[in-house]
Amino acid sequence: MPKASIANDIRRLRFEHDEMTQQELANRAGCTRQTIIVLEKERYVPSLSLAFSIARVFNKTIEEVFEYSGEE
Amino acid sequence: MATLWITLAVVGGIAVVAFLSRLVWSLRPQADMAGTPPAPLERLGWIGLGVTTVVGVGLIVIVILVGTDFIDENTTARGTFWLLMIVGFGLWGASWYVIKRRSGGVVVDERDRAILARSFSVESLIVLLMLVTWTIALSEAFSEDGVMPIAYLQLIFWSTFVGGAFGRSLGIVMGYRRGIAVDA
Repeated sequence: MPKASIANDIRRLRFEHDEMTQQELANRAGCTRQTIIVLEKERYVPSLSLAFSIARVFNKTIEEVFEYSGEE
Repeated sequence: MATLWITLAVVGGIAVVAFLSRLVWSLRPQADMAGTPPAPLERLGWIGLGVTTVVGVGLIVIVILVGTDFIDENTTARGTFWLLMIVGFGLWGASWYVIKRRSGGVVVDERDRAILARSFSVESLIVLLMLVTWTIALSEAFSEDGVMPIAYLQLIFWSTFVGGAFGRSLGIVMGYRRGIAVDA
């Protein structure tokens, strides 16, 4: 599976927020648990709306959650 | 002329085997995704692969044993065919209902929709290949007669229907195995 070009801190942020489970984050962000899994493995680049939803769950901005790491 | 057809058949056969081998290889689980539970849509894709394979093989067996006009001429074969179709596709539909109820939370999200959209290309390719094969085979078989038994119309339709469903399921499973790195 190709590696996405956008890194993220989702896993760390989950643990910092009362050890939120992947399923809980998925429910609050409006996606499936499997999408959260591939996001954390940086195997998937979310759409802008999903990225905003995830950032909002952690009360962070998009830039604090995701980082553009350049072309692969 | 016969030599040409035999050569084309051998080359075509080798190409099909190579394509299928690559396809099967691409369905292997990725090492870094080991242990990841399948998404609801992926589960549906695997069930669809199983159902369409069983129905497709059943259709081939019926045609081999009974002949191509089984739909009009043989009540038992026709009943068996319809039973396979109704039970097979009915189970497939029911499985989606069960999968949705057991999933909890979001069942299909943007990533699943992207995979579903891309699976259409696999379905289209398989339908196109089947129609080309039918066209060539029937043209060669009945070119001298100038007429084709009407039973073949139903056979073409149902085989392409099952093949298309197989292609859609295969496209879904391939989408999850190969992954989509770029957002929809």
